[in-house]
Amino acid sequence: MSTATNHPRWTRQLGGLVRKDLRLELRTKETVVAMVLFAVITLTIMQFGFGTRDDDLTRFTGGLMWVTLAFTAVLGVGRSYVAEREQRVLDGLLVSPIPRVVLLAAKAIAIVIYMTIVEVVVIPLVGIFFVKGAYWDSIGWIALVALLANVCIALSGTLFSGLALFTRARDLILPVLFLPALVPVVIAGAGATHAVVAGANDMADYRGYCLFLVGYAILFLLVCVATYDAVFDD
Amino acid sequence: MPDLLVSARGVVHAYGDRRAVSHVDLDVAVGERVAIAGPNGAGKSTLLRMVATLLRPRAGSLTVLGEEVPKGARRARMGIGYLAHDPLAYLDLSPRQNLQLYADLYGVPDAAGRIDDLLDRVDLTARAEDPVRVLSRGMSQRLALARMLLHRPQLLLLDEPHASLDASGTALLDAELGAARADGRGAVIVTHEVERIAQVADRLVVMRAGRVVADEPVAGRGPAEIRARYEQAIA
Repeated sequence: MSTATNHPRWTRQLGGLVRKDLRLELRTKETVVAMVLFAVITLTIMQFGFGTRDDDLTRFTGGLMWVTLAFTAVLGVGRSYVAEREQRVLDGLLVSPIPRVVLLAAKAIAIVIYMTIVEVVVIPLVGIFFVKGAYWDSIGWIALVALLANVCIALSGTLFSGLALFTRARDLILPVLFLPALVPVVIAGAGATHAVVAGANDMADYRGYCLFLVGYAILFLLVCVATYDAVFDD
Repeated sequence: MPDLLVSARGVVHAYGDRRAVSHVDLDVAVGERVAIAGPNGAGKSTLLRMVATLLRPRAGSLTVLGEEVPKGARRARMGIGYLAHDPLAYLDLSPRQNLQLYADLYGVPDAAGRIDDLLDRVDLTARAEDPVRVLSRGMSQRLALARMLLHRPQLLLLDEPHASLDASGTALLDAELGAARADGRGAVIVTHEVERIAQVADRLVVMRAGRVVADEPVAGRGPAEIRARYEQAIA
């Protein structure tokens, strides 16, 4: 007797895994709600901590936004494999004929979606809290750099959360590994945001930061493809 | 199809400095059901996890479904059905959603029909949309049975399969193991229930301290005789 299945298509495997992560999130509402609340609270604290409404914090906008998003990303990425770990499902995934990089891609897509939801709240809130002058005209450019940065965050985050998954002190190790890797993303995100807020319109600067993020994403994609089998296979 | 579903030669696995499996040979022929018994810490589950491609052998050679492991592990996984201590199901998804996920991972054709059929066989149709979290342990284990059979695997790997199963679940599992023999599939069953071995296996492998200390057929032997032989082997 032979098995009834042909070699499964990776697109079907990927779709199944992403659907599963989104279904779990819709049912439990644990990760995204926590990420949004964390980001809003952090921005609120910064708003009170850095000055009153009369102070012009426009030039700090990029930094404030991207530091907030970086810490929020750590929170979200840290929960990437919580269901698999706590409900002891990982063996079920690993014994299936799935390329390990598809497992990574599925987690990365989920993180991009979660971060995008967070940014739908954070980007307007930053404008309300910190910017004097034109902001809403440049929101499309900020959204674009945020999308690029999300891909970077998702790729590096999934790699490090996969590495941390098999360690005992995973809750400590993940931020220690992941936050330094986020420094270039924060620099580029803040730089690109600064280049377009309050009528700065320094598009050459903006493009440079975006290209940097594309390079970062390609680098981590290559590292993930090269190492993810080893991360998960014993 | 290869003559041997599993062929292990001198396989070794260690956790740090402690050898859990030490130079073990194991063959499973087409249509053969092999029970592995032994005291706690004998290395039974570690050996099973190596055959399931979840652990790499540190030494020796291991071929599963004609594929050398770990090199051909992904192809071998297509034909492996693995039943673990845990149901390997997401607790916040329903049985149907869990089976749909695994159908996607294995590329099961006509997944909806196959899932309906399996839910019916394991008597979970009425609870198919409830979160697994609210199912009893026995029901979760029956879901695990459905998950294991979903892609019609050639090789069944079962770790303490009768634990938590009620009478109907046990009957279903035993029937499936009987069918596995009849239609040329194979099975490796790790168990503590030595008395059941005559019912579910053709061969008994006894492990102690990471090594195989007995490997013999069980045909024609009753539960008491198998128990006595087991006790003798681990003494």
